[in-house]
Amino acid sequence: MKAAGNTGGLRSFPRLPRMPPLVSIKDLVKTYPSGTRALDGITLDVQRGEFVVLIGLSGSGKSTLLRCINRLVDPTSGTVAFDGIDVTAADRVAMRHVRRRIGMIFQQFNLVRRSSVFSNVLAGRLGYMSTWRTIASRPTSSDVAAAFENLGRVGIADRAFSRADALSGGQQQRVGIARALMQKPELMLADEPVASLDPATSHSVMKYLEEINKKDGITVVCSLHFLSLARRYGTRVIALKAGQVAFDGRPAAIDERRFKDIYGEDAEEVEIGPGAAPGPSAAEAAARALADDAETASARLGLPDR
Amino acid sequence: MAEYFTSRGLPVPPELQRNPLTEWRRLLVVAAVLLVLYIGLQITNIDTGRANVQYVINRIALLFQWDFSIMSPRDEFETFRDTAWWKMIETIFLGIMATAFAVVVSIPLSFLGARNIMTGNPITAAIYAVVRVMFTIIRSIDVLIVVIVLLAIFGPGNAAGVFGLAFHNIGVMGKLYSEAIEGIDAGPLEAITATGANRLQVIWTAVLPQITNPFISFTIYRLDTNVRLAPILGLVGGGGIGLDLFQAINLSQYGAAGLIIFMIVVVVATMDFVSAQIRKRLV
Repeated sequence: MKAAGNTGGLRSFPRLPRMPPLVSIKDLVKTYPSGTRALDGITLDVQRGEFVVLIGLSGSGKSTLLRCINRLVDPTSGTVAFDGIDVTAADRVAMRHVRRRIGMIFQQFNLVRRSSVFSNVLAGRLGYMSTWRTIASRPTSSDVAAAFENLGRVGIADRAFSRADALSGGQQQRVGIARALMQKPELMLADEPVASLDPATSHSVMKYLEEINKKDGITVVCSLHFLSLARRYGTRVIALKAGQVAFDGRPAAIDERRFKDIYGEDAEEVEIGPGAAPGPSAAEAAARALADDAETASARLGLPDR
Repeated sequence: MAEYFTSRGLPVPPELQRNPLTEWRRLLVVAAVLLVLYIGLQITNIDTGRANVQYVINRIALLFQWDFSIMSPRDEFETFRDTAWWKMIETIFLGIMATAFAVVVSIPLSFLGARNIMTGNPITAAIYAVVRVMFTIIRSIDVLIVVIVLLAIFGPGNAAGVFGLAFHNIGVMGKLYSEAIEGIDAGPLEAITATGANRLQVIWTAVLPQITNPFISFTIYRLDTNVRLAPILGLVGGGGIGLDLFQAINLSQYGAAGLIIFMIVVVVATMDFVSAQIRKRLV
């Protein structure tokens, strides 16, 4: 009688406390004032260390979902928790403290075009910087050192004092990454980071994201247009369709049928990268550009050659 | 033209059927305009009877017989402050001071009147609406009317002129500045907000670098306009060289009036050229 709840001699081990998810989204709905229902009940968890790729047609809600995580967009209902903190209920100060733990890069890079690369990168520290230091432009020396370290990491330290809009698209996106790295983020949101770039530059930028995911252990949530990039870089793919999760799983599990389900019956998959260009000479040029870029990128990052 | 359609059994498009020269709606509009002009002539009763050709040529010639005595003190009671060239300098600074006062007031107000800064919160959105309506009302009152009203407060003189000009410019510059702020690229704002920066830091880092050049450009443009307006203020008692011009005409001193007008033309043309050059380099 006494041992009713006991299973013989075996002591049941207490379950190991599982790491809570870094981002936990429940029943998230966003309806814009125009009446567009961008998100229609999204529920998903992002675990630490994942490289999540969001795919889906334009207007399927990818950007809105990303912006609900750091509340650049206020969700209509549902909750988003970041590391256990309810982002949807956070007040102004709490929200800023959450935001500085989340880096973000954008399709249009969103650099302050007239400012120098250096001050753009330094802006990543604003969440930690007092207002008077911002106004007097007196960054701490550790912030300055970090800015140069991160610029070096993305390979553009020599352009630190150029105006941001003097750089090429790929370089500007790398400035964007350096700016986000200044926050020492635990999560990196990337909204179509390569959609404005050519195929070769796209891979170079994606490799930096891969590196910060693998080396620094920063969780990445990245929206992409090209399934080939999603397959190549993602550890998990989430497909959105009309504001709902249409697929959530390993990249390899997306077959022809699932692809047509996500993108519609008429869609055909296009490749990005070497071999994608139509003519032989163009393909060659693209391949060479990619090789050059990948080579320098791998050399800089110490990545193994592929 | 029409055969293309008729030969194929297609309906002829209406724009090919119409003859624009005989269309009654157009003729009606032309007739209406002519009618308004005729009625206008009757009502305004423009009388040119006094100005025969000889008289007009005579008067215009008088304007070019410049009287250089106004460039130096004319009697023992006048100092250099009463000379035309000094009055011209005073008038230029009237415009500069009015611009300065207007800039100081309208820059802070322009942030409150920029939609992209103020939306997102019902209170700030209300402030935005109030500020923009205020700009529009201020702008709609002409400078000369403001100066005349201020005569009641300051009496005739430079104070009424400067503050009248400044007041009108708060409306104009507030609108220009606000629109410059509304025209900035929202991307950097979003990115800086995402780093966890507070509102002031966002404005300082992402907004200011984008608006400094438009602001300088608009300020120089308004400075140009204000220096151009300043000589007119004197006509209603707002101080400056306009008063001397008004007096010269009233006293039939055409030589003095002509010289003053020439000085104004030189100053305005110079300002116009310089401001255009500076603004061209800013873009």
